[in-house]
Amino acid sequence: MNQRRRFSFSLYQTHVKLLAFDLNSLNQTSSSDSVSFSRKGYAVSCTEIVGVVVFRDLKPNRFLKFSVDDGTACVGCILWLNHLTSSYFASRHHQDVRILGDMATHFAAQIRVGIVVRVRGKLSSYRGMVQITVSDVVVEDDPNAEILHWLDSMRLAMKCYDLSPTPT
Amino acid sequence: MALSAIKSGALVSLKDLMHPSSEFFKDGASLRVTGKLVEYSVETAIAIIVDGNVNLKIDTQHLIELSIRIGSIYQFIGELLVQSDNEAILKARVGRNVDGIDLNLYHQSLQLLRQFQADHLNKRTN
Repeated sequence: MNQRRRFSFSLYQTHVKLLAFDLNSLNQTSSSDSVSFSRKGYAVSCTEIVGVVVFRDLKPNRFLKFSVDDGTACVGCILWLNHLTSSYFASRHHQDVRILGDMATHFAAQIRVGIVVRVRGKLSSYRGMVQITVSDVVVEDDPNAEILHWLDSMRLAMKCYDLSPTPT
Repeated sequence: MALSAIKSGALVSLKDLMHPSSEFFKDGASLRVTGKLVEYSVETAIAIIVDGNVNLKIDTQHLIELSIRIGSIYQFIGELLVQSDNEAILKARVGRNVDGIDLNLYHQSLQLLRQFQADHLNKRTN
């Protein structure tokens, strides 16, 4: 297995810290039932962003849509709240689904316009735009958290995500 | 408002915003500004923030839940309204208190971020 492929696998399993402008310009490849994402030839599936919540639209027991602005662009996020009614979770253990549902409800209650959040989740696509299907949310109280995330994202891009594969 | 209609507030220091050749100083521009709140009128909900020797008026009428404290550092996201006399006011749609922010780190990081973004866009177009 060459370097590129090994690196690609490790990025695929990682919550890559990308700035929103970078996230919005990921390459999307659609198949009949799914969309996959890549950046500079490397497959990516999960991400972590930090930014200000600038939009919030709650549909109780269905979903919370919100938008995060990190100063470079806005990214749409969706937090599903339909764990107890969705067929997606039907095959999973009821107690686990209830815990996931409770967590999602807790996250949704925390998200307000004007706060800074750290969002982790899976990349998805909505009307051709990159969207994050949220798995967890942390409210950042440190006023420097967003700045540190910018620096972290730039460092990772230059030292890790942008690295060219080593020819074998 | 639809999610796709939300514009990102471009990060800009007050000094860069008010520079005569500023690319950000235009009517309708979506911006994110940071500064110390030095004045606030309860009647008009207009605040003034300062960074260095540059100040900017902020219309906070839509920020009902924001607690205003003179002397605190605030960050606002909104649209710039340039009036006929070339005076500007930011109509804020988002605001937050950022007391404790390291403004030196913020301004330095902003420069790095701008350069990083420009490099990426250049690489993409070349």
